[in-house]
Amino acid sequence: MAKPAKKLVIVTEKILLKKIAKIIEESGASGYTVLETGGKGSRNVRSSGQPSVSDTTANIKFEVLTPDRLMAQNIANRVAREFFTDYAGMIYLCDAEVLYGESFCGPEGCGI
Amino acid sequence: MDFLSLFLMDFVKQLQSPTLAFLIGGMIIAALGSELVIPESICTIIVFMLLTKIGLTGGIAIRNSNLTEMVLPMIFAVIVGILVVFIARYTLAKLPKVKVVDAIATGGLFGAVSGSTMAAGLTLLEEEKIPFEAWAGALYPFMDIPALVTAIVVANIYLNKKKRKELAYSSESFNKQPVAAGDYSDQQDYPGSRQEYLSQQQPTDNRVKIWPIIEESLRGPALSAMLLGLALGIFAQPETVYKSFYDPLFRGLLSILMLVMGMEAWSRIGELRKVAQWYVVYSVIAPFVHGLIAFGLGMIAHYATGFSWGGVVILAVIASSSSDISGPPTLRAGIPSANPSAYIGASTAIGTPVAIGLCIPFFLGLAQALSGN
Repeated sequence: MAKPAKKLVIVTEKILLKKIAKIIEESGASGYTVLETGGKGSRNVRSSGQPSVSDTTANIKFEVLTPDRLMAQNIANRVAREFFTDYAGMIYLCDAEVLYGESFCGPEGCGI
Repeated sequence: MDFLSLFLMDFVKQLQSPTLAFLIGGMIIAALGSELVIPESICTIIVFMLLTKIGLTGGIAIRNSNLTEMVLPMIFAVIVGILVVFIARYTLAKLPKVKVVDAIATGGLFGAVSGSTMAAGLTLLEEEKIPFEAWAGALYPFMDIPALVTAIVVANIYLNKKKRKELAYSSESFNKQPVAAGDYSDQQDYPGSRQEYLSQQQPTDNRVKIWPIIEESLRGPALSAMLLGLALGIFAQPETVYKSFYDPLFRGLLSILMLVMGMEAWSRIGELRKVAQWYVVYSVIAPFVHGLIAFGLGMIAHYATGFSWGGVVILAVIASSSSDISGPPTLRAGIPSANPSAYIGASTAIGTPVAIGLCIPFFLGLAQALSGN
């Protein structure tokens, strides 16, 4: 049986990368993935494809696997409270099943 | 009329200079909907190259020059940087439909310096063979950092005052203790409304910490490249790599950066339209006002310590420029509640083209007319 987990996705401004990474680390999550993204939202089109001389308009997407809903909620609450009044941002949660990931499942493996 | 004809001649010549031609070219192809994309990593390396070159030039010059000559222009650069923020606070911020924080952030960005505008100014002075102190580029951080720090401090003082006033009006909703991070009960969920959400926000520390702002601007890509170049110029012997690599590539790379700035300027105009029209008025007039203040101070330095006319022009050009690269992220982090569409739009869409296209030839013409050249 694969190990059930929650996948927390945070889409926000690149300028917050380090600050959000710190929150995720402090929450006890074993790791995270960051992608550069672009798209359209309530704060105009923020695309990574436009010519740009600074990083201010770039977007990122964090994916964090958490063992339970509580940890994901803690991260989401802190991020939203600290940043989302002033910065663009969106957070959602998905169900996931981890098939392989030693750091996540431990030395005995996730079990497929 | 001598001055006017000199200015017009310079202006027409400037339109044909690679710097401005590429800027206008970029705006035109963006307006026509071109899908040309210059990869961001290339822009990053260009900015690095340009500012390292300017830093190296300054560093090598400082090594061979008399430091006491630099003191007065540096003090004037600091004064202009700080003054620009207060000008915005007491003009732009008072205008209808302009939010005070947005105005302060705009002032900070206009006080900060654009590396590309400065590079364009230096290139033009070289083309015109007007002598200037090679260390004049090193005035950059002395205007940039004070402007950003002042803007962030003034904005935060304003926001704290406003918050305290609001607290005094609506005290009952604040009886709820803010929840400390990481200490949630299971029932604690997302706030139900925006009002509730806002009330959960802990009142921030009333004191604005200045050192982190300085640290952040020093760590920004533009200033760290420039200061690295400056240090290498002073302490190492980088002349060979300077002559064979940084100097020859400078103008070509500047033209690419100008193209990108033109495209970005066009794409930002739309955003600017959504805020208030006053930003347009401000960003056309402000570069001239700031430049003239710096020009006046530069003239004092000219008569007091023999600061060259070329140097006066550079001081005026960096004052009229508004930051595009390092300023926006610093302000975004320092004044999060200010609307970036307002200040980045004002600076990139109008401020920079005005500074490069109109202010550089204007101050050059002014200097030529006043020096009788």
